[in-house]
Amino acid sequence: MAKETKLSHTAAMILQAVEAGFVYGFSIMEMTGLPSGTVYPAMRRLEGDDLIRSQWERQSIADAEQRPLRKYYKITAAGRTTLEASRKRYPLLERLIPSAEASRI
Amino acid sequence: MRARLQRGLGLLHLCLLRCASLLVPGELRAEWWQEWRAELWHVRFALVPADEFSWSAEQEVTAFCLGAFQDALYLRRPLPQPRTSLAAAQGSASHCMLVLGAVLAASYGFSLLLPGVRAEHFLSQHRPEPGLVMIQNASRLVPGPTISSAQFRAWSGRRQKYFDGLAFYRLAPATVTPSSGMQTGWEVAAASSNLFALLGAPIRYEGFGEAIPGDLPRLILSDAVWRKDFGANPRVIGSIVTVGARKARVAGVAPLGAWRLPGRVDAWLLESDSELASEGMGYVVAHLTALGQAEMWTTRVPITAYKGNDTEDDLLGVALDQQAPLPSTVFLFALLLALLALPAITSVTLDETSVSSHRTSWPRRVYRWGFLSAKIALLLPIVYLSSIDIAYWNPGLAPSTMVCIQVAAGFAGCLFGLRWALKDQQQRCPVCLRKVEHPAQVGQASRTFLDWNGTELMCMDGHTLLHVPGLPTSWFGAQRWLYLDTSWRFLFAGPAAGINNEIV
Repeated sequence: MAKETKLSHTAAMILQAVEAGFVYGFSIMEMTGLPSGTVYPAMRRLEGDDLIRSQWERQSIADAEQRPLRKYYKITAAGRTTLEASRKRYPLLERLIPSAEASRI
Repeated sequence: MRARLQRGLGLLHLCLLRCASLLVPGELRAEWWQEWRAELWHVRFALVPADEFSWSAEQEVTAFCLGAFQDALYLRRPLPQPRTSLAAAQGSASHCMLVLGAVLAASYGFSLLLPGVRAEHFLSQHRPEPGLVMIQNASRLVPGPTISSAQFRAWSGRRQKYFDGLAFYRLAPATVTPSSGMQTGWEVAAASSNLFALLGAPIRYEGFGEAIPGDLPRLILSDAVWRKDFGANPRVIGSIVTVGARKARVAGVAPLGAWRLPGRVDAWLLESDSELASEGMGYVVAHLTALGQAEMWTTRVPITAYKGNDTEDDLLGVALDQQAPLPSTVFLFALLLALLALPAITSVTLDETSVSSHRTSWPRRVYRWGFLSAKIALLLPIVYLSSIDIAYWNPGLAPSTMVCIQVAAGFAGCLFGLRWALKDQQQRCPVCLRKVEHPAQVGQASRTFLDWNGTELMCMDGHTLLHVPGLPTSWFGAQRWLYLDTSWRFLFAGPAAGINNEIV
């Protein structure tokens, strides 16, 4: 059985941001205040560990909005489990970035 | 002006991203560039006001672009390697080299420990002087003592054209009483005083005890007797020993391996030629003059000795430096025989047949050939030292027997060692040189002529599969390599590729 993934605070914050609906790099930068040199490599690591998954948006959507295609990130089931554990480790995480469900209530 | 400045800075940001993209591995570069370019568009769209120029906004965009270098460098980093454990290292090229190195060290260690092998090393360093011959009666086919001391004295008293030195020795058992008083029976060689000097054989502790007065004959002890009867005590040099009815002074010890002439000797009693006993047959060693050496163009030469009464003796001169070939020469002979026999027991071709049109890069090929060369370079000294260990471990064996044993051991070692080296090479992945493992039987033997059947082995690093036909056919005679692309790698990921590490 694989050991539970332990995330650093930065990684946990980025994962929390993705889960909260900030689904592309720049929005995560804006939300967390982290520089691009931290956010993008961290997302590569999270993706490499199957905690998030990336997907290019459909061409038609980008064409309709007259902008370049964008890559979106989505949290995986493993990512949610890990995030739950990270929330216990970093109790202020949810206060910093409220999750999508919490913000809807 | 403002628009031009913004366009210039926009170009600068694109240049920064392009430069960063050069750090990204080739297979990821296109997608990376697309993502960062799109992100840059969105960053500019969000930060840079459309109607006015803002330095702070441009600085933020520049900072964003500079972050791309960190991202590119992250993608460039080597993948986490699993910790090299013994199990993981097994089958790798370095493991093979390590094992061969250890075996070589063990063989060398054995050769240092075995007294017979040490003696052989000593002998190799102290070869007989060139031009030494053993003179024997030509009518005797079996080597043995054939020259009488009277005959020898007659020769040595005469002026010789072909010889500038002659020495005689005769073996006889004798009762020896050392100064301690313990009587023992030795095989003593009564020899000319110049015997060791003529042979060029060294004598240990020679010169010790010279202060003892008297004109007693000198006694040289063999290494075995010195150790057995005198406890390897150097103080024995100079002591008086009674050999038969005569007293002699111990003058030195002949090192192990120093004596390679016929006969097992425990001690040499060195006397002047006039003192040599007249009765019995012995051996004569002679050193050839330059003229004599020029006449001796084979290892054996017939010699005619004229007696005083106009009769002749038919003698034979046998070159001593040819009698026992050097171990290295014997080994080279065995290696030559093994190389000739090798194609009979294994395929010596290392041609690489690939299922696809894949060709290994030349650095990989050089690496592969270098590995094979290194393997053989380690293997040959192992076989050489092992053959010496086997042949010379018992110093009591006759030199010819030792040579025969060394030829046999060297031949077998070279033959099967080279066979192993080639077989091992044929079963190593051409990419990483790791030995392919986990043989799996594929197909049915009964369908050999309809479909492929044989054994499939895989490289545990996920580079290749090796197909070895069960029954070679005209269309599948030799083994073939199937190169796997990178999409197979996830199957071979090691434990370090797991997610149990703390990240970021």
